[in-house]
Amino acid sequence: MASSEQVAEKPWLGARMARKEDLRLVTGKGQYIGDIVLPRMAHAVFVRSDYAHARIRSIDTAAALAVPGVIAVITGQDLVDDVRTMPQPVLLPNLPAKYPTFSALAIDKVKFHGTPVALVIARHKYIAEDASELVEVDYEELPVVTDPEAALEAGAPVINEDHDDNEIFAMTFTGGETEQEQIANAKAVDEVFANADVTIKKRFRVHRTGLTPMEPRGVLCDWSEADGLTAWITTQRPHIDRLALIDLLDIPADKVRVIAPRDQGGGFGVKAPFFRENVVIAHVARKLRRPVRWVESRHESLMNVGQERDQINDLEIAASNDGTLLAFRNHGVADNGTGETGVYWGFVMPFLGAVELPNTYTWQKADVHLRVAVTNKACITPSRAFGHFPTRFAIERAIDMVAHKLGMEPAEVRRKNLITELPYTSVTGEFYDSGDLIKLWDNLMAQVDLKEFRTEQAAAREEGRYIGIGYATGVELSGMASEVLVPMENQPGYGAATVRIDPRGAVLVFGGDAPQGQGHETSVSQVVANAFGTNPKDTVTVEGDTGTTPFGSGTIGARGASYFMSAVHNACVEIKQKICRILAHDFGVEGSYEDFEFANSEVVYLADPSLRKTFRQAVERIIMHPINMPVGEVGGLEATVYFEAPEQMVCFNADLCIVEVDINSGEFDILKWVSSEDVGNVINPLIVDGQMQGAIVQGLSNTIFEEFIYDEQGQQLTADFENYKIANAADTPNIDITYASTPCPHTPLGTRGIGEGRPASVPGALTNAICDALIPFGIEITELPLRPDTLWEKLQAARGDR
Amino acid sequence: MSRTNEVSITVNGERYDETIPNRMLLVDFIREHIGLTGTHVGCTYEGACGACTVHLDGAAVKSCLMLAVQADGHDVTTVEGLANDDGLSPLQQAFNDQHGLQCGYCTAGILMNMTDFLREHPDPSEDEIRRALIGNLCRCTGYVHIVRAVKAAAAVGTK
Repeated sequence: MASSEQVAEKPWLGARMARKEDLRLVTGKGQYIGDIVLPRMAHAVFVRSDYAHARIRSIDTAAALAVPGVIAVITGQDLVDDVRTMPQPVLLPNLPAKYPTFSALAIDKVKFHGTPVALVIARHKYIAEDASELVEVDYEELPVVTDPEAALEAGAPVINEDHDDNEIFAMTFTGGETEQEQIANAKAVDEVFANADVTIKKRFRVHRTGLTPMEPRGVLCDWSEADGLTAWITTQRPHIDRLALIDLLDIPADKVRVIAPRDQGGGFGVKAPFFRENVVIAHVARKLRRPVRWVESRHESLMNVGQERDQINDLEIAASNDGTLLAFRNHGVADNGTGETGVYWGFVMPFLGAVELPNTYTWQKADVHLRVAVTNKACITPSRAFGHFPTRFAIERAIDMVAHKLGMEPAEVRRKNLITELPYTSVTGEFYDSGDLIKLWDNLMAQVDLKEFRTEQAAAREEGRYIGIGYATGVELSGMASEVLVPMENQPGYGAATVRIDPRGAVLVFGGDAPQGQGHETSVSQVVANAFGTNPKDTVTVEGDTGTTPFGSGTIGARGASYFMSAVHNACVEIKQKICRILAHDFGVEGSYEDFEFANSEVVYLADPSLRKTFRQAVERIIMHPINMPVGEVGGLEATVYFEAPEQMVCFNADLCIVEVDINSGEFDILKWVSSEDVGNVINPLIVDGQMQGAIVQGLSNTIFEEFIYDEQGQQLTADFENYKIANAADTPNIDITYASTPCPHTPLGTRGIGEGRPASVPGALTNAICDALIPFGIEITELPLRPDTLWEKLQAARGDR
Repeated sequence: MSRTNEVSITVNGERYDETIPNRMLLVDFIREHIGLTGTHVGCTYEGACGACTVHLDGAAVKSCLMLAVQADGHDVTTVEGLANDDGLSPLQQAFNDQHGLQCGYCTAGILMNMTDFLREHPDPSEDEIRRALIGNLCRCTGYVHIVRAVKAAAAVGTK
């Protein structure tokens, strides 16, 4: 037996197993970046600009340096000889854009309120903070641009001065590669619109909001002549950060190790980019020859990261009288902020947002244009629902507007236009591998009696109560195959895992990704137990350390259950095959993998069950006693497997919510929220429920509460939790997650990665429900955030009109 | 460095007689001075996120809103003090059973707040639980499983 107690076999795949991670986390024994302390560790505090756009005339560090306990103060000038500027090739997507060149600490000018201009290093963090107040920077203010449309106008002040204008990225697509093809496509779309029974045209705006992990960022770097740089970074992609540090600091590859701490307090995309702060801390650790740690404050975090969405989409839809959706045309303008963030540069998010416009619906034609503008704001960072929170809001809202115009049930219009035959390539070129959208939708609608709801709604209106129902659907990438990730982010999409068997029968799994709460240790242990017929508690999972794990592009984009888990499974299979070959030899029988069963911590020869060994006996024999081996076999049990899916994979969801609006105050209550999920085979439904509930509440919080506000001078006004309001427990409803899954044919366990894009259908479902409740007032919401005060204003206006 | 003072603070039953700067926050005393890192900081010491919640003489307080010298002569309990030789507290166990945490960063504060809350409200309604959680922000879970865990712990009965 691998474990001391006898354990009955369980179908571990699909089990609602409580998490292995929790024991340390509920007892305060987690190890986050702020908990790691090294001898002689110094504390670093960044000095950040008070201006959104200004030239740096001079920086005076003398007063700060004079504070007892201060070790060093560095500025951008100190980096010139030792640190390369960004971008470096490893941090560039394969997309044509006007990438800004910049120093990790600004040298000539600052481009947003919060730009790092200096770093104070002291023996105690209080002293570093005191001294940081004494760094004097003399600025010459420049004209500030905070509006993306103004930034794109001719004559606007240019922010990234290595380029001629503020358009960092633009594209026109769905109509082929050449200009002629695009003109022909645009003309074809015009014709569809000209002949359509009904069209709608609206400007949809989504404000600047995103995700804010409860743990902000942090970096701890140590340097030794022997081993070089060891960097602990809050990061979703340690292997990419390592390559970036090698290139930026010109350190030999054998001298850089990056470790994502075992515990990270949330990520949601915010810890996926390569940040300028990483290289500054690494540089000073090398320069000072001592450990240096920077732990980001919440104030810094809200000024610098977690800002996303922020798009204007001028969307037009053409449809037939029977509710068939025909074509759409979209002109998007996205606010990029400065663009000074490695890997994504801001614009990669709106790029994908535009690609995902078609959602789960069939369209004959589309004409899509996107322009992304540099502004004097923090560069947008990936946030769960990467780029498509605004575009999905637009498309889902627009479909209800079509339904309202036609006098049809929005549910009927949706079902009628769902993609029914998969695989399917969307009108914007996105590949949907498999799934069953009709089953998904019908499962959603089975959660409510729509006819009864309409009766109830009519009766409620008679009493002056306004209730409404709303829906939205969603498609999200279940990780990205290399075919997609290489062009988009210049990184491989495969999943990688090393599985190592311990002589006592424990299983060690090493992965190159870096989770931040997704429960990988639990899911991996279930996959391993399923493969070896052992108990999940006998598996240990290590991720995030580039010194011990195979290369992975990170815990990003719902890769886990598509790629990493598939690699773990396939590595287990490889090891099982070896065990079977050697056991067949030992038992003196002909036989291979198919002839043995792994169950109840035993390996059994099926043709003669008297031939059996415990899993521990079998592995101990191969690892510890590698004599009398079959010809060509050597001892040891370990496999590293890279898994690449043959097809790009996606998963689907649909949401339904019921609200009640108080027409006198504009306040609204969410009475019901239920989802339907097509996520392939589920490894652990408890974890998937939690992922979905969390994502939906993130979507609600973004839609209703959160908003990053800059004034006209580019001053960030919302850099604390008093002003950047996040939904709390009393603000949010209970959520029912239901499943209508179809197994994924492209992974060994039928699983798909889930959860990354999940917030995107929330604003559509919620606003559709509110507009449904307010149909008597003809209110159509096209802008977020959606707050009681704006609703009250719309109600006042509508009631005045009546 | 600013002025210092001698304090005697008992944390999880262990007495610390220390000389500390007057301006040291209680959360920094707990995390950095004595090295109990289960208590977390999630906001700019503004009392908004609740991750630093501990017990002061049995009552839940936000340790970022207090100076350590204010705890002189008092008993502090942190998340490390919740479990005993018999194992996890019913609330800790319920958080595991109900998947009441994902990244775990906010969890210590929620456990400390809810342990105090359940002592005062042994049979709370869902609304009461949700309102009692207003001072604790969680970004991962959407609160659904947290509320379920608190209910489950109430059903078992708290210590």
